[in-house]
Amino acid sequence: MRITSSLLFSLLVALWSVPLHAQDRILTGTVVDSASAAPLEGARVTVRGTPLGTLAGANGRFALRGVPAGDFGITVRMIGYRAVDRLVRAGENDIRIAMVRDPLELDEVVVTGQATAIERRNLPNAIATVSGEAVSRVSAPSVENALQGKVVGAVIQTNGGAPGGGLQVQMRGVTSINAASEPLYVVDGVVMSNTAIPSNQNAVTRAAGGSNPSLTQDAQVNRIADLNPNEIESIEVLKGASAAAIYGSRASNGVVIITTKRGAPGAPRFGLTQRLGFAQASNSLGTRTFNTLDEAVDAWGDDAALYFQPGRTFDHEDQLAHRTPLLSETVLDLSGGSENTQYFLSGLWKKDGGIIDNTGYQKQSIRANLDQQFGSRIDLDVGVNVTRTLAQRGLSNNDNASVSYYMVLPFTPSFVDLSRNDDGTYPCNPFIGNCSNPLQTAAMMRNDEIVWRYFGSGRLGISAFQSETQNLRFNVLGGADYFIQENDLFFPPELNFEGDDGQPGTVLLSNTHSLNLNIGANAVHGYSPASGAFTATTSLGVSYADRDQDLSRITSRNIVGGLDIVSAGTNVQVIGQRQRVETVSLFAQEEVLMLDDRLLLTAGINADQTSANSDDEKLYFYPKAAGSYRFVSPLEVVDELKLRAAYGESGNQPLFGQKFTPLTATQNIAGLPALVTQGTVGAADLRPERQREIEGGVDATMFDRRATLELTFYQKNVTDLLLQRTLAPSTGFVTEIFNGGELRTRGLEVGLGIIPVQTANAEWVSRINFFRTRSKILDLPVPTFRAGGFGTALGAFEIAEGASPTQIVGNDTLPDGTGIVRKIGDATPDFNMSFSNDLRFGRFQLSGLLDWQKGGSIINLTKFLFDLGQNTVDFADPITVGGVQTTAGARRLDLFGRQTAVYLEDASYVKLREVTLAYTVPEDLVARVWGAAQYAVISVSGRNLLTFTDYTGLDPEVSNFGNQNIARNIDVAPFPPSRSFWFSVRVGF
Amino acid sequence: MRPMRLAPAVLPLIALCACGELTVPDYNNTSLDDLRNNPTPAKVAQAAQGLLVGTRTMFGPQNGYISLLGIVGRESYNFDAADPRFITEMLIGPLDGGSPAFGGNLFGAPYLNIRNANTLLDAVGETPGMSAEDMDAVRGFAKTIQALDYLLVINTRDEYGAPIASGGDPRDPPAPIASKAEVFAHIVQLLDEAKTHLQAAGSTFPFTMSPGFADFATPADFLEFNRAIKARVDVYMGNYSAALTSLSESFLDTSAPLDFGAYHTYTTGSGDLQNLLFDPTGRAILAHPSIVTDAQQRPGGSPDLRLTTKVVPRAEGPRTVQGITTDVVFSIYNSNTAPIPVITNEELILLRAEARLFTSDIPGAIQDLNLIRTTAGGLGNYAGPSTEAAVLDELLYNRRYSLLFQGGHRWIDARRFDRLATLPLAVAGHTVQPRFPFPEAECLARVPAPTEGCG
Repeated sequence: MRITSSLLFSLLVALWSVPLHAQDRILTGTVVDSASAAPLEGARVTVRGTPLGTLAGANGRFALRGVPAGDFGITVRMIGYRAVDRLVRAGENDIRIAMVRDPLELDEVVVTGQATAIERRNLPNAIATVSGEAVSRVSAPSVENALQGKVVGAVIQTNGGAPGGGLQVQMRGVTSINAASEPLYVVDGVVMSNTAIPSNQNAVTRAAGGSNPSLTQDAQVNRIADLNPNEIESIEVLKGASAAAIYGSRASNGVVIITTKRGAPGAPRFGLTQRLGFAQASNSLGTRTFNTLDEAVDAWGDDAALYFQPGRTFDHEDQLAHRTPLLSETVLDLSGGSENTQYFLSGLWKKDGGIIDNTGYQKQSIRANLDQQFGSRIDLDVGVNVTRTLAQRGLSNNDNASVSYYMVLPFTPSFVDLSRNDDGTYPCNPFIGNCSNPLQTAAMMRNDEIVWRYFGSGRLGISAFQSETQNLRFNVLGGADYFIQENDLFFPPELNFEGDDGQPGTVLLSNTHSLNLNIGANAVHGYSPASGAFTATTSLGVSYADRDQDLSRITSRNIVGGLDIVSAGTNVQVIGQRQRVETVSLFAQEEVLMLDDRLLLTAGINADQTSANSDDEKLYFYPKAAGSYRFVSPLEVVDELKLRAAYGESGNQPLFGQKFTPLTATQNIAGLPALVTQGTVGAADLRPERQREIEGGVDATMFDRRATLELTFYQKNVTDLLLQRTLAPSTGFVTEIFNGGELRTRGLEVGLGIIPVQTANAEWVSRINFFRTRSKILDLPVPTFRAGGFGTALGAFEIAEGASPTQIVGNDTLPDGTGIVRKIGDATPDFNMSFSNDLRFGRFQLSGLLDWQKGGSIINLTKFLFDLGQNTVDFADPITVGGVQTTAGARRLDLFGRQTAVYLEDASYVKLREVTLAYTVPEDLVARVWGAAQYAVISVSGRNLLTFTDYTGLDPEVSNFGNQNIARNIDVAPFPPSRSFWFSVRVGF
Repeated sequence: MRPMRLAPAVLPLIALCACGELTVPDYNNTSLDDLRNNPTPAKVAQAAQGLLVGTRTMFGPQNGYISLLGIVGRESYNFDAADPRFITEMLIGPLDGGSPAFGGNLFGAPYLNIRNANTLLDAVGETPGMSAEDMDAVRGFAKTIQALDYLLVINTRDEYGAPIASGGDPRDPPAPIASKAEVFAHIVQLLDEAKTHLQAAGSTFPFTMSPGFADFATPADFLEFNRAIKARVDVYMGNYSAALTSLSESFLDTSAPLDFGAYHTYTTGSGDLQNLLFDPTGRAILAHPSIVTDAQQRPGGSPDLRLTTKVVPRAEGPRTVQGITTDVVFSIYNSNTAPIPVITNEELILLRAEARLFTSDIPGAIQDLNLIRTTAGGLGNYAGPSTEAAVLDELLYNRRYSLLFQGGHRWIDARRFDRLATLPLAVAGHTVQPRFPFPEAECLARVPAPTEGCG
């Protein structure tokens, strides 16, 4: 902190010592669509070679103060339009700019460093960009939902169907085994925490008490879910070290740069979007039907006779996920301002019901973004965002207590009636030891996650020096991301299962405070000689980040009087945990654009120091270098061809605490304080993992900008992996954390954009993305180890030299009967592909997004549980094995333990992610109906409407252990998936 | 202004950043090195109390020592719906060292506590302000607990042997696997060294015993506990005359209550553990029905009191899982704070009966058995033949019912007397596992892998 503020001071001192030119000329103008002559609000007008710029306001009007006195060039940009370069003569003071539509967005500017940006045509990396319009087109609970299928190279999958999020984003394959798995999210220059904090439902499910002690089986939500997708202007995705090296030791999983919407000058403009919809369960497993009493008794014992009635069955899944809840979302936005002051205000009120009782998701969010210019030299941007979310998560995932819905259903025959009795009580589930009745559990329990989040960012820009050939600019930026997450769970004593530990009733309360602080400063120097031979941009910067998370949990059992408060329990357990990591980061970068803007060369270096390293004083360096060259019209149909190559390094920090060899002080025996070994040893030289990525590619624009092709190959080598050496248990320790080994990930990404139809009245834009990754452990200085799962009999992820890190091993039997453990599958898909189409015809617009994953394996343990209950829908299907008549379920059970592959399934799917049909109401009709309104758009849309898959589980997107580098794709009693339908109206005033 | 002119302003700051510290402590734990390098009497006391935490760890869980040994020894079942391996692995077999909760279980926890004891033994000698008597008291206590932990290891691994941990750098190659006889010899050595330390100690321990060890809270009393463990080891080794000596120095007392002894304590206090063997509805843990059918009858025709006080019919009726049916649950641990015995007067009397039986004192053995039969079982005196074989049968019956579901005694006894084949199998194809394999991690850490016990 002290260090950074002294740097800021130095920069400010440096600033005021620099002379400035007095400039008084004002340029005004109007920006319009070339076809319709409609004004283009939000177009950005900049004076080339200077940091001067402004946004066109209402009516497309703009004003630029302090422009050069003589001739100068301006560039006008707008998302969805071709950029316009224009020379402004000395005498011109009011100009008109007509912009041509460019649906493939070839002329956008992409952020490449912490302070600089490059035009896409020069970009040396494959950086994916997603517009705010594409993100908010169909209502999504979490921003990652809205990114699914839209980012080439990113596997984005939901962990389960519970309302409120819980998704993982993996950019360009596996990059780590034990360190962070998620990308860095940067919102308006400030790092936004994406931590996932378990709810402590484990206190009731006892999931961690089984053979996998992981505490991440609570269906936890990663907190980027708090973002409001409606206020996003654009998202840029830096996928690996070659693009993201400037973010140093936090960039190995990629960086997602999110920019929120900002105001433009003009009269206040007010927009209202009202969405209404409904959701429904999109899949169910079904259960076995018992046709005769004998069949029922055979599977369930003599007791079956007490419940079995021929022809009477109950669909417990349908009774559980029976709701067709109302979904609603109201978005208000207001923007406007003067030449010097612009504002953007936005509000969100979202309330989605869930398909199961007592589940659902709510989000309320307010944002205020303010831009203020002080003369022509200083500008200040601030943004403030307050969000409240409430996720009612139900009870899903693994347990060892027979409480989670889909842990109980496998052992509940369809002939048992679990429905509520007339007196309000629920029957004991006779085939579960503790009487657990999922319908009762859903009706009476509560699993609420409430988050209040305060996010503020600010940037002060100072134009210190400006001449015909040079400019120098300082930015001071900072922000805070603070949230409180409260997990409030209640299991009343009346729940059938609650008495089974002799302590009826459980109240769980967890509070987590998380603070991410960022402070930074940078200087950007631009130089372009009078000859115009090149443009050089130099940037230097420093930043400090502190992330501090403090958690306290109360588990209270044996609840007196059934009160919903932790103090009512007679057995109260308290846990406190704090983790904090400080990082100081320095960077320097040089970008040179030359040869008539055809050749771009860039190089940079980052140096990081973090408290998570064993040596918290040491700087680790992450260099990068990249280049691109554009060939203009090299072939008849090719407008432009770009060759590009980039190299970069980045890190992945050790997690808090990994460097320590702790002695636990939180256990006691009858209140006597005790110190005991915890089992982990930290290496003395623990340091970040290091990723070296090399990326090369070809970008082509063809057929007069009607087609684009982006082709990228990359290879990442990750060394100094943070590995857990499993120590011989006889040493008294379990694991040692150390750096070592090497992992390689290679991949191919193809993005194709085509405009098959483009007329004044109709337009069809089609995009096809394809990508695949392959990873391999090149060097492993520890013996083969397991990185997830429940042991080899049930399938386990195994890290072995020479093998894919996501390989799944299981028990298998050789022809001679010998049992072995060997690879039976791999969680990494063969490839992913997506097809997105936008059709405009007159006032109608139809959009669709199809997401295809080919291959990848899932360990379907939910099916295994249903088999154990002899309750799988196909259990009794007759099959013949080796001439012997048996049933499908009996066969699988017979092979269990000897052939794990019977519960391994293909994860391939095709999902219709999004469909929207929108209609823009004619202005005159709008004016007649509602005089104040300027425009209105009505639409119907849907999310995850259709899934085509051979997977027999609920959803091929599944992860019992939440966000994981390796151990995804384990299906244990997930929350059932749903689809949503929406009707929306947007009105502008 | 060229970039070079900015450099002088920024470069010193970069240098400044680079030499600054970003020290963040471990907020959640103390450090092992701190105990090793800067021991104080308070830290040593807390580490000593930690040994009682560590040695308790694997008793209470539903997949712990009592539960798993109960299953293989056909005292109990675990019908937890979430994991069929309580049946497929524990009853059908084979045990899988790759299953951390099953075949590979009951290993890491005792070694973790052996490490705790080694760390404490290293630290105690370096503790400023601690008297020599107190140091000896801590050493005597630590070595006794360590011996107990080794005994738990060798009880499950048996003929496979077990490593004798050095307590050194965990990154060094693990200690070689010692034979069963070597491990027992090491246990005896630890117990005897502990005895010497305890005799050199003062009249008090410099730390506090848990309530379960309240009757052994002075070095002199704790020595009687030490000798009790020694007696169990002697008997397991077949050193029956040594056992009689150990027993005479132990807290064996035929006039004392049979349940007098040392216990693992459980409370519901925050940070403490609870006894998870308490499972009143039989959600997971159920009793083996053979306990009911094999019980002897009292003179009035009612069954052995040890049956009726330890096992009750399941209120919700019988449960059947994978072809196995039982209708009884345990009432031994009648709350989640019920203590679990480490060793009791009742076991000591039975140990003496065995030692007498095999040192040609059959009448003495019968006398001890009769005490147990009448006091614990409400049965009449033993009326069978006074042959060694017949009395052994009677001894094993009494050991089974007196020590029911408190540490795998039935399984260990059946193995000791080569009677594993007599344990009842609920379903054809079930097997009785004679010992647990080494955990997979223990095998992988050894090159070459041990030939025995590594799948």
